[in-house]
Amino acid sequence: MDNVYKPDLMEVTRIRQETPDVKSVSLRFLDSGRARDFSFRVGQFGIFSAFGYGESTFNICSSSNWKDHIEFCFRKVGRVTEALWKIEEKDVVGFRGPYGNGYPMEAWKGRDLIFLGGGIAMPPIRCAVWYALENRADYGEITVVYGARTVADLVFLDELDEWSKSERVRIIRCVDPGGETPDWKGEIGFVPHVFERAQVAAKDPVVLVIGPPIMIKNTLPILDKMGVKPASVYTSIENRMKCGIGKCGRCNVGPIYVCKEGPVLTMEQLQGLPADY
Amino acid sequence: MSEIISQSALRALAAEWIAGGKSVAGPARVKPDLVLYRVLRSGDDLLLEGFQRPSNSIKDFLFPKAEKLYGYKIRGNSIELIENDSPEPAQVIIAARPCDAAALPILDHVFNWDFHDEFYNRRRAATTVVTLACSAHDENCFCTSVGLDPGSDRGSDAILFALGNGQYEVRCATEKGHALFDGKTEKSERTGKAITGPEKRFDAQAVRAFVTTHFEDPFWNEHALTCIGCGTCAFSCPACHCFDIVDAGSAAGNARVKTWDSCQFSTFTAHASGHNPRPAQPARQRQRILHKFAIYPEKFGEILCTGCGNCTRNCPVGLGVLSVATEINHG
Repeated sequence: MDNVYKPDLMEVTRIRQETPDVKSVSLRFLDSGRARDFSFRVGQFGIFSAFGYGESTFNICSSSNWKDHIEFCFRKVGRVTEALWKIEEKDVVGFRGPYGNGYPMEAWKGRDLIFLGGGIAMPPIRCAVWYALENRADYGEITVVYGARTVADLVFLDELDEWSKSERVRIIRCVDPGGETPDWKGEIGFVPHVFERAQVAAKDPVVLVIGPPIMIKNTLPILDKMGVKPASVYTSIENRMKCGIGKCGRCNVGPIYVCKEGPVLTMEQLQGLPADY
Repeated sequence: MSEIISQSALRALAAEWIAGGKSVAGPARVKPDLVLYRVLRSGDDLLLEGFQRPSNSIKDFLFPKAEKLYGYKIRGNSIELIENDSPEPAQVIIAARPCDAAALPILDHVFNWDFHDEFYNRRRAATTVVTLACSAHDENCFCTSVGLDPGSDRGSDAILFALGNGQYEVRCATEKGHALFDGKTEKSERTGKAITGPEKRFDAQAVRAFVTTHFEDPFWNEHALTCIGCGTCAFSCPACHCFDIVDAGSAAGNARVKTWDSCQFSTFTAHASGHNPRPAQPARQRQRILHKFAIYPEKFGEILCTGCGNCTRNCPVGLGVLSVATEINHG
């Protein structure tokens, strides 16, 4: 029987502790045929599981160009993530996916890209940044503004340094006021304000903004002032999911099944939907 | 000409199916005041008269309350998945109400768009539905408001019409129906018919128009004040199909299990962060109506409700689709 709920088994190949409560994990398929045939689009998600505890939904935060493994990143907040926190290299976890629509990276070709991320929203931005950098000639200026509550809450910091060495890339790091350390060299302020202060000169950019609702809310008027149309502003919404395949009835926002027609939506699409997210 | 069968022959036939290894489910009195669809042990268990409709629905036999998706064995850091590939046993649901049977073709859509849920499909293929047309309706019935009627054979493989004197007319609608009844009935001149349906109680299009334009509206607060979020509406609904996926621990043999869930529960949409897009009962009541009358019709072209009235009949505080829809219509 074709069991759509059956996961692939994946071996943990690497674990990095990003912050006191965030880890990123690399996985490889145990089945060599599946490893060879697997592909996904950046911005898609997976349902990851710790056997004995349950399944959780996370973005696949690695680039789709990386063929030998996939990565996901999570904060320890509940039953499943507590269990995932304890896994070690060579342990086996479950994976279902890839699910959802992903970012339209093809359609973004030729455009300047602005990435605005807050806190644990960096992983779903990170995959798109890597993809754009690996296909550098396809995209214009790249700006990344990434902030967290405190310096200790920033994830993938070493990669931000690596990105900043690339051509036509501007990386701006920030922490909320009070979250800085004495030797903090980045900006201090909330992501929308830091972005506004940075006066990014982008021509008809694509903007990917992911973060807490308040961050997105405060970013939209700034983008509006810059003349960025809602159809060019993308986000990835995080409605709770169980099945990931349009059956369990949990993730609807109006007629949109976020697991199938999302999670990537434009602000223009969101404006036409009830605020059920 | 028609085909008829007597009640005693019908019971004998049910007993024959059971003896032949089929699982046979139908209405049975489980307590003095409670009738449920349940697996019958004998033809005599089958209850054919004297009640409006069972308090549950036949979805229990196609989309069970808890269904094992696969088992797993954990040994050190190796995991073995164990699937159950044994064929689904044949089952007959007898004396289903038309409002139960009609839910199956409606549910077929969601379990088969893009991804196919073979747990549902296998049970569906192994199931023959024998419906009994209604001979009464109560104040909570509203099939006629959602495009059905007490004699509808939608989703039925065969339908029975009571003729009185313990006789039923049998009309087979599919090959599966013929397979059960061919050679088991007698020729007759008598034909049965269902009762006239309940008067149309609300306009489903008007309900759809209201829910799609009144997302933020005091109506939901006023309407949902009494809802206690028990989920009885969803669990006794033939069409509600929301589910959770959970791990059952070692006591249950280490398995991942699909279990019924309800949009009325407080944690249904709660994010791990603590954010909940539907933080209280009004938003959850709104979702139930929105899903049935707007989202599902937009996606799959059909209202996710067959008018059985169970949600209102079983609601401890008198809510349910009928009361909300009539409030919307007449409010």
